[in-house]
Amino acid sequence: MGDPLQMESLKKYLDLASPEFEGGLTAATRGARDFTQVIQLCTIRKRALQKGLLAVPSNMRRVAMVGGANLRPLVNFIEHFSAVLGEVCCEFWIGEYDNYNSEILDAESSLYKFKPDTVLLLPSERRCSYNGPLDSSRVEQEDIGRRAASEVLNLCSTIHARSEAEVIVGNFRLSPYFDPGPMRNTSLISEYAFRKFVNMEIGARLPAYAHLCDIEFLSNRRGNLSGVDDRTWFESKQPFAADLLVDVAREYAFMLTHLACAAKKVLILDLDNTLWGGVIGDDGLEGIELGTTSPRGEAFRDFQLYLLELSKRGVLLAVCSKNDYDKAVEPFEKHPEMVLRLKDIVCFKANWEPKSDNIRRIARELNLGLDSMVFLDDNRAEIEIVNQFVPEVTTIWAGDDPSEFAAKLKDSRFFELRNVTGEDVLRVQQYKQESERQQLLEISTDMDAYLDSLEMVGIIKPFDRLDAPRIAQLIAKSNQFNLTTRRRTEAEVLGILDDEHFPAFTMRLSDRFGDHGLIAVVVGNVRGKEFVIDTWLMSCRVLKRQVEEEVLNEIARLAQHSGCTRVIGQYIPSAKNGMVRELYPKMGFVHVKEEEDAIQIYALDIAQYEAIATKIKMTKEIYATAGSPR
Amino acid sequence: MQQQEVLAKLQEVFDGVFLQKVVVSPELSADDVEEWDSLAHVPLILTVEQTFGIRFRVGEVEATKNVGDLADLIIKRLPNG
Repeated sequence: MGDPLQMESLKKYLDLASPEFEGGLTAATRGARDFTQVIQLCTIRKRALQKGLLAVPSNMRRVAMVGGANLRPLVNFIEHFSAVLGEVCCEFWIGEYDNYNSEILDAESSLYKFKPDTVLLLPSERRCSYNGPLDSSRVEQEDIGRRAASEVLNLCSTIHARSEAEVIVGNFRLSPYFDPGPMRNTSLISEYAFRKFVNMEIGARLPAYAHLCDIEFLSNRRGNLSGVDDRTWFESKQPFAADLLVDVAREYAFMLTHLACAAKKVLILDLDNTLWGGVIGDDGLEGIELGTTSPRGEAFRDFQLYLLELSKRGVLLAVCSKNDYDKAVEPFEKHPEMVLRLKDIVCFKANWEPKSDNIRRIARELNLGLDSMVFLDDNRAEIEIVNQFVPEVTTIWAGDDPSEFAAKLKDSRFFELRNVTGEDVLRVQQYKQESERQQLLEISTDMDAYLDSLEMVGIIKPFDRLDAPRIAQLIAKSNQFNLTTRRRTEAEVLGILDDEHFPAFTMRLSDRFGDHGLIAVVVGNVRGKEFVIDTWLMSCRVLKRQVEEEVLNEIARLAQHSGCTRVIGQYIPSAKNGMVRELYPKMGFVHVKEEEDAIQIYALDIAQYEAIATKIKMTKEIYATAGSPR
Repeated sequence: MQQQEVLAKLQEVFDGVFLQKVVVSPELSADDVEEWDSLAHVPLILTVEQTFGIRFRVGEVEATKNVGDLADLIIKRLPNG
């Protein structure tokens, strides 16, 4: 068992109905790796729910699970992990044992009657083995492998076509047994190589609406031999040994909740004993441990190399350190073995204020939510303070062995790649430019003059295929400037591309400091004479830059072009979009009514609308073609 | 390990798996416990295995009639009987 003490204090919190219970449950669930621990946590959570000690997460999903094995207790664990770690409440529909083919292929099946928004598929691994002749050629073997992958992929596409649900599909683990000898990796007739090939095929051909629960990896990570328990298969059709079951449930839940949650964007780093060994203020530039001259110094340097890699992927690195600023920046400027330089740090706070205050300042300056930030420190007390005073920020205690720092971050799962877009790579530069712009803003008090000096250029364009990944990414991540918070996957974005009822456009912005890239997404919905703004979201880094005005100009123009007389704006309140609560009234819309869940409906009469002049030099690539607005 | 000790440890397992308090005794069987259905049985047995660090053989848990039988089986599967 992981930490019996933790479990005992959790039970005590439960008995006392203590406010510390929820945090304790989350921490214990995060750390739980074995079956016994997770089953106990499930029971404890159910007791807490009975006592009314836990709120059910408001984020609801309808999830169906089908597969070639007994899906309990797997599903119970997925439910637990989704609720506790992903704050998503799942309503489940569970398929019969090994009935998934007919459940998926029969359009009338109760799977579809349930109207799932996500379907979890665990294909039968017993069906995934080579069934051709032993003396076949490699080409024939691969054909059989491709067919096996197609079977799984076809199930995914049928599910999506019939229900529009996202699909999370499990792949196949590899055999842990010596049989049939070293030829396991020279020919696909071995179960080992065959499944490896099928997994690669599934991965390579996975469509945008499907996501992988990489069971091959999970089993490898734990050790394939320990993942096998044939007795429980024969007795109750359990797909995996008990502990691997936990890993797989955790991963399904992770994928499931990630479809609904935004990724972390910023990593805030401590300096002394986090980026180098020793204390720069005491030990000085020559005294700190960093670089290949000592094992410890090499470990810190290697950790920095990983941080640089993260930065190249688009993770923003910030510094928050208790130090004199001048001393703190010295290694970044002068130390020959330093990997990270000042240009890699988007926001640098070194002073003697509490770290919690500095972290709030970093969030304000980068214009990003605290919940998109992760704070890493080797000092437990600092971690504790941040947990207490900025609970929205996720913290990682680095520990006291720098050789493990990178591994800790790599296993934290906060900065995993989803789909990399070119814009991710540019992002670091953009935030850096943002702080320069902030400085310019401080100098020039006249807003108009400031905007003029930025020399902004904007481009408005209808949705196109090339932009789809970035559009989908913005739709998935934007929380603050987002009027309706309607999430769409890349597949769904592609789906409305040619739909004339959904005129949709994007806006890009650049200025003399650099290119912001694609920063606004609008999806309209033409309903007779009304142009309903289905989605309007923007990247917060272009606030107060008159982008809203240009977007509204375009909405009005497009609405008129589509034969509409009124624009209808909706404001659907969420936990995070308070900043746009008053957007529509401020922009001249009239309040029409309040609907259920405090949804506000506004209208704008197009005949009365006059385009707003801005400081942005606009190009509209688009609607040059007369006639159709698309 | 004596049956008594095994039963005491089993009590902890039952407390972790079942929502209601179930008092472990040699005569107790699944029929006596509302929560102890076929769905709950699987995690219960897996937890017993992990807690005692033992492996049951295929089919042998099914052959036990009550908790007393299960405790005897656990003792049989423990490294030093």
